[in-house]
Amino acid sequence: MAIKRLINEHDMELWNNSKTFEDVIGFINTLALSVRGRENNDYTQPISDNVQRVSNLLSKVTEIIGKHEVIKDANTSRFGKIEFRDFYDDISEHSNELISKIFEGIEKPDTGKLDDICTYFINSWGDRSRIDYGSGHELNFICFLYCLTESKVFDLENDSSNIVLMLFIKYLGIMRSLELKYWLEPAGSHGVWGLDDYHFLPFLFGAFQLSTHKHLKPKSIHNPEVVEMFQDRYLYFGCIAFINKVKTTASLRWHSPMLDDISGVKRWSKVAEGMVKMYKAEVLQKLPIMQHFYFGYFLKCPEGVSEPSARAQDHHEDDSCCTDGSHGHSTWADCCGIAVPSAIAASQMANKDVRLFPFD
Amino acid sequence: MDVDTDVPMHDAVEDQLDSTLDEEAPGFDNGLASSSPGTSGIADNKATKPVELTGSSIGQLDAWLEKLSQCQCLSEEDVAKLCKMAVDVLQFEDNVQPVSVPVTICGDVHGQFHDLIELFKIGGPCPDTNYLFMGDYVDRGYYSVETVSYLVALKVRYPSRITILRGNHESRQITQVYGFYDECLRKYGSANVWKMFTDLFDYFPITALVDNKIFCLHGGLSPMIETVDQVRELNRIQEVPHEGPMCDLLWSDPDDRGGWGISPRGAGFTFGQDISEQFNHTNDLSLIARAHQLVMEGYAWSHQQSVVTIFSAPNYCYRCGNQAAIMEVDDTMNRQFLQYNPSVRPGEPTVSRKTPDYFL
Repeated sequence: MAIKRLINEHDMELWNNSKTFEDVIGFINTLALSVRGRENNDYTQPISDNVQRVSNLLSKVTEIIGKHEVIKDANTSRFGKIEFRDFYDDISEHSNELISKIFEGIEKPDTGKLDDICTYFINSWGDRSRIDYGSGHELNFICFLYCLTESKVFDLENDSSNIVLMLFIKYLGIMRSLELKYWLEPAGSHGVWGLDDYHFLPFLFGAFQLSTHKHLKPKSIHNPEVVEMFQDRYLYFGCIAFINKVKTTASLRWHSPMLDDISGVKRWSKVAEGMVKMYKAEVLQKLPIMQHFYFGYFLKCPEGVSEPSARAQDHHEDDSCCTDGSHGHSTWADCCGIAVPSAIAASQMANKDVRLFPFD
Repeated sequence: MDVDTDVPMHDAVEDQLDSTLDEEAPGFDNGLASSSPGTSGIADNKATKPVELTGSSIGQLDAWLEKLSQCQCLSEEDVAKLCKMAVDVLQFEDNVQPVSVPVTICGDVHGQFHDLIELFKIGGPCPDTNYLFMGDYVDRGYYSVETVSYLVALKVRYPSRITILRGNHESRQITQVYGFYDECLRKYGSANVWKMFTDLFDYFPITALVDNKIFCLHGGLSPMIETVDQVRELNRIQEVPHEGPMCDLLWSDPDDRGGWGISPRGAGFTFGQDISEQFNHTNDLSLIARAHQLVMEGYAWSHQQSVVTIFSAPNYCYRCGNQAAIMEVDDTMNRQFLQYNPSVRPGEPTVSRKTPDYFL
């Protein structure tokens, strides 16, 4: 079973220097390099059956979204729409069955591995309890693709660019509709000081797409005509168009100073390089994000990282308990009857780093 | 759009940038910057009893207020002076700061400086109108530095006319995740100003009591606090803890469900109508006023008018499309809500574009 493991700076140090870290960033790099100079619909032909099967799986997700309309009052206390939870439960319930279809005609992984794949897939769509989404959830989708690659569903030699251009872009489109339909909150958003409210990788892949372009420059994002013309052809411009659409009353310079700063870089190839560095530092090496990262069969937890008993797995996601008045304490790891048994756990509890970073 | 006519940023100390960024830039550390409380030195020579403002300090404060009202940040040196003066005002305030009517009560601002100026237009200028702010001055918005500097300068200049409570974002840990830290680095080239302000935040009062009838705080109630007197006994001069009464007061939310519930935020609790009514009854209160949650109309009642939520950042993050509101309480404890929309942004930001280190 895939579980969360990283809880403190020491864990992060082990993680940052681990083979798993290298595997994840290596996978992203391979995908990014495969779309250099390619427009969104510039697929590698022929499109393999397996890429098509995963694409079909994503179509199912869109169907499931359609089954869960927002009905309740728009002005409930939480900003996100609670029907998102119905969508999420629906996906969780059917993920095993849906993912099994990918393996029709090829060797199906054993139950444990399939469960890991499901975990990453389910967590790709955001946080059920907080009704939010951020780059950590996006990373789960990459892990899902990574697991499929490791399970021989994809052959990176032929499929890499289609993984990005068909599957990742389709995923992004689904996320956009989830973000808009259920008003997903940006998880851990830096506000105007972040790259984007929700996403990171479309900027990274998008910069690689543009890195060989002769005429388009990073500063072109300020030209409304260029953005309009290229929003469906390059991920980066699509992201800018989306931001301009949802952030009204001010220009990009106000609500997205980071993108504005990056637009001062001379060449897209430099932006692409920087995006990889920034992704490592701002996503993969950030504890507030990585405290939620799942390790399992495909993505092994580095040796020496705090034992899983030192934290309560997901206890915040179960908000059905502890509603009686007797719950008069607030120790984050021992509520809901989840024991903290070991001595390691006890000493970790004394260390404030054990606490998860709270949300907003 | 003309994007190359940048006006240099006021007080940007360009020369310092390269040497300091290496140590402090987010991304080159593994998680969060070192943030030991008190290291900024602003509280090294605290006064032992309240100090009267002298003519020259009034002159200095008025000059700072003039500059800040133009949305220009103070120099690092002046921020240090201002924070030292503020420590000597705030350290003598109570955990439950008494406030008399008439007063105008405001919610989250989150660095939306121009909307804060709009707030003062709607509510009347300080000191002609008395103000009570319930925290969350920083993070996410473009002008957290200017916003918090302005409010702190008003506090020092007119200590009995304005009360500024602490929100959950007035914290070292949270500001490193949600933008204020990034903004300070970006505008000052080092984390010094961030250190000074986060050291100062430890001194902010955590609750206020308006005419012994309206209990004001950022988040909500705590299962460990039954009486207002118990708040008075807390030691508040510290980083916001990860749990316990002080944490809850800054993090909790009212909920439709009765009793205490686990907060999806990962800190604080949710509390039901039964809890609010009991608290108000025990303490002979008429209302709990709090902020902390975005509400579309700028204010929202809950628990049959025993709790009101006030949110004063319109179109939060340039995205949410919400109105903002403030609550006027007059001499006879009559309450009136004033709502307002985002102010028009004057042209483009005055901060010059700077390439982030990742892209150099």
